[in-house]
Amino acid sequence: MTDRLSVVYVVDDDQDIRSSLSRALGQRGFDVRPYDSAAEFLDGYDAETAGCVVLDYGMPGMNGLELQAELNRRGSPLAIIFITGHGGVPESVQAMKGGAVDFLEKPFRQPVLVERIEAALEIAEDRHAAMAQQREILARLARLTAREEELVEMMMANPAEVSSKELGNQLGISPRTIDHHRARILEKLEVRSLVELVDLVKRVEGAGPMLP
Amino acid sequence: MRNSLGALLAIGLAGLQFMAVLAVVFSSYVTSERALLDHARDLLSDVGTNTIEHSRGFLSPARGAAELSARLAQDRVIASDVPELLEQLLFQQLQLAPQFAGVYHGSEDGGFVYVMRADASAPGPFRTKIIRVRGDSRNTELIWRDNEFNVIERRFDPEDTYDPRTRPWYKRARDQLTTIWTDPYIFFSSQQPGITLASPVMDGTDTVRGIVGVDIEISAISDFLARLRIGSTGRALIIHQNGDVIAHPNKELLKTKDADGTLRFVDITQFEDPIARAAFSGLKANGVVPTPTETLSQFSYGGETYVSVIMPPISEHLPWTIAAYALESDFTEVIKQNRLQNIWIAAIVAAVTGLLGLALANYIYKPVRAFAVRSALIAQGEIDPSEPSPKTYEELDNANRTLMQQIARRRETEMEFGQTFALSSRGMAQIDAGSGRFLRVNHKFCEITGYSEEELERMTFADLADPSDPPFLLPAADTGATPQEINHEMRCLRHDGTAIWTMVNAILSFNQEGRPLHFVLTMDDISHAKRAEEQITELSKDLSNLSRDNTMGQMAAGLAHELNQPLTAIAQNADSALFAIDQMAVADPELRHTLEEIADQSMRAGEIIKALRGFIRRDEGMKTAFDLPELVQQTRRLVMAEARVAGIAVLCETGPLPPVNANRIQIAQVLVNLMRNAIEAVAESGQAGGQAGGQVRVTASVEDGCVRVAVTDTGPGVDPEITLFSEFETTKVNGMGLGLSICKSIVEANGGRLWHEPAPEAGATFLFTVALATA
Repeated sequence: MTDRLSVVYVVDDDQDIRSSLSRALGQRGFDVRPYDSAAEFLDGYDAETAGCVVLDYGMPGMNGLELQAELNRRGSPLAIIFITGHGGVPESVQAMKGGAVDFLEKPFRQPVLVERIEAALEIAEDRHAAMAQQREILARLARLTAREEELVEMMMANPAEVSSKELGNQLGISPRTIDHHRARILEKLEVRSLVELVDLVKRVEGAGPMLP
Repeated sequence: MRNSLGALLAIGLAGLQFMAVLAVVFSSYVTSERALLDHARDLLSDVGTNTIEHSRGFLSPARGAAELSARLAQDRVIASDVPELLEQLLFQQLQLAPQFAGVYHGSEDGGFVYVMRADASAPGPFRTKIIRVRGDSRNTELIWRDNEFNVIERRFDPEDTYDPRTRPWYKRARDQLTTIWTDPYIFFSSQQPGITLASPVMDGTDTVRGIVGVDIEISAISDFLARLRIGSTGRALIIHQNGDVIAHPNKELLKTKDADGTLRFVDITQFEDPIARAAFSGLKANGVVPTPTETLSQFSYGGETYVSVIMPPISEHLPWTIAAYALESDFTEVIKQNRLQNIWIAAIVAAVTGLLGLALANYIYKPVRAFAVRSALIAQGEIDPSEPSPKTYEELDNANRTLMQQIARRRETEMEFGQTFALSSRGMAQIDAGSGRFLRVNHKFCEITGYSEEELERMTFADLADPSDPPFLLPAADTGATPQEINHEMRCLRHDGTAIWTMVNAILSFNQEGRPLHFVLTMDDISHAKRAEEQITELSKDLSNLSRDNTMGQMAAGLAHELNQPLTAIAQNADSALFAIDQMAVADPELRHTLEEIADQSMRAGEIIKALRGFIRRDEGMKTAFDLPELVQQTRRLVMAEARVAGIAVLCETGPLPPVNANRIQIAQVLVNLMRNAIEAVAESGQAGGQAGGQVRVTASVEDGCVRVAVTDTGPGVDPEITLFSEFETTKVNGMGLGLSICKSIVEANGGRLWHEPAPEAGATFLFTVALATA
């Protein structure tokens, strides 16, 4: 899988760790991007590309857990593998609670790491794809006018009573006009039926404020 | 023994007036007795004097008459040898003095003229006897005359042989050539007692021509004596110096007849007046009757008391003693009756005034008694000193006021002491200095020891001591070197057998003679404080153990982290090399093996470090529910020494909180570390001492299901360049840079968080959370 575009970020304050991991992962064809602190990473990471972060748990300044929290706050789909020299059960529990995909105690063998990275990247790519789709759906939703958006919300709120007549009564406009709006909505959202519309909207419901 | 004022007053007032009455009565008794006797004596003396004067007056005319006749004859105014003329002269003389019985003149030749008063049977009141002598012849003529000197009858008596010259009076006057008085005798003719006075008639110078004599009847003196009134039975009598009683109120007693028929006087010793005999017989016994001075005496006769007086002799010529006696009662009877009456009056007066005295004494004493009774009642606590006192004397009232104030003050003090004793929050006991027995205990003492008051009063202090301890005895009371105050920590066995620690403070009090009286003992149950102290000591010990463990653990953890970094790099690099070899066409198996070894050994080193870390963290999970504020207080005490030295106040404002669940000793470690850091930070910034100076404040509050503890200091705050909570990084000269990281790992191991916030003003706040113990 050398043609992959997946990025592996290495965030560790230890120079030796960074260089050895960069070398090892580079050899295996990963796009390795090392950072010596959480702050630097936040400045430099590519939010558009799927990838994973090999993150040192205990760092001066913002530590691994804090960085994880920040990424979660930003809605990043990056998958995180913690590596730690402390290696305690409490630390790993906290990390996993925060959504980390893996937790490795230092030192570790490279095949293990590569195996975990590949698994993480798969997760990251799935997340990335899902996010891209959501973003596309949202882009479609963004085409709607205010009236159309209102109608979508009403249809989502009560999918059982969505006849044009009922909607027209609720909004005080004619069923014909409703029918016209509905046709425009299906067109704009690129769906063919009300069922597809509901499915589409549901896929983006609950997603955070992901739009740039 | 003290005298009672009441008794003294009674005795004084009643006794004094009794004595006064007695003195008056006695003195009047004595003086009246003396006055009485004086009166009697004066009376008798007067009698004597009167009798003497009377006798003198009675007898002196006789002398005058005799001497006048003698001189007339001598001067030949009348011729003594002419009897008729002589008779006339003598007749005149006789008529002048009624007491004269007869007047006569005897001459040397034997002639005799005698004029005398005749008795009632005679022919006339006067009789004259004339003896004429002529040579050897003589004739005797008797002539009776009337008062006018007329002859009534005249006759001769041839038988008469009377010769004057043979008569004693003639002889004595002739021998002595002066006027002489005869002793009294009974006149032959009249048979009346009398005396004769004779005076010589001289011829020229020394020749006696004749003698003139006067017979004086002295029965008139007896008549005079009979007329005297000396009391009821008193009598006066005249005793001649030879003892003859010559005058007595009863003339019949004077005369007695001898065996030959001659009359003579009766001697006083045979006198028929028995009282006189009893009174005056003694006079003769002494030989000489007359006494030179007036003598008053008393005598008893027939059960009666008499007084008598004996006068000195009337004159040289009349050696007569006037003696008088009288019944004393004649003078004293009235006075005696009066005296008896006086005694009765005095007794009544004494009784009345005595009663008055007693009443007065009672009146005077009553306020004193009321005062005394009141004082006694106050002393027994039956009445209150503040009650108004009865009306009394100003002096007593003042004394009373002072006394009452003193009593009130003493009461107050006693009450205060009693209340202090009874209500004291400390155990108190009074213990007999000699036996060590409890005399009195308060409620708290019973509470501490678990014994009842009655049980304790049968026990000694030593019974309370835990027998497994070395015995602590109150010092023996009779040793001179007894310390006055004893402080001792003592383990007591309570009634239920549990041992408690007590702090005993005993003060030995002495009486005024310096003898020990009793101990006043206060006892505090210090078990709780002792336990708290033990807990803190234990905590401190645990903490130092933990601190050592933590330091080691943290060092190990730090080392592990530090070592794991190169080990990781080694393992990665070895694996990279292996990967590179795998890419090569021809791979040296030896090289591959070597690289495998390198990777394996680095992993093995990692395992060793992991094992070490696991070993150090062995006490993880020993969580208990405990009271955090209490722990804060205990840890505060552990750092107080440093805080005091630095002059920094450590304030714990935790308040009551629900219990938390964590490893208590580890949390204590965190608190100690944070507080110590804070103290050091403040101390290094140079804020020391005073309220305005540095302080460390510990607060705690419940937030989001856990307790948040904040340790805030007024130090300089945290340098932003410093990375907190990392190992081996420190600003302290003597620090290893492990403290905060240890704290952090401890807090996290207990499921909490530790972080830092800048304090609102200056300084730093370190906060951590501890999970609440959920029920």
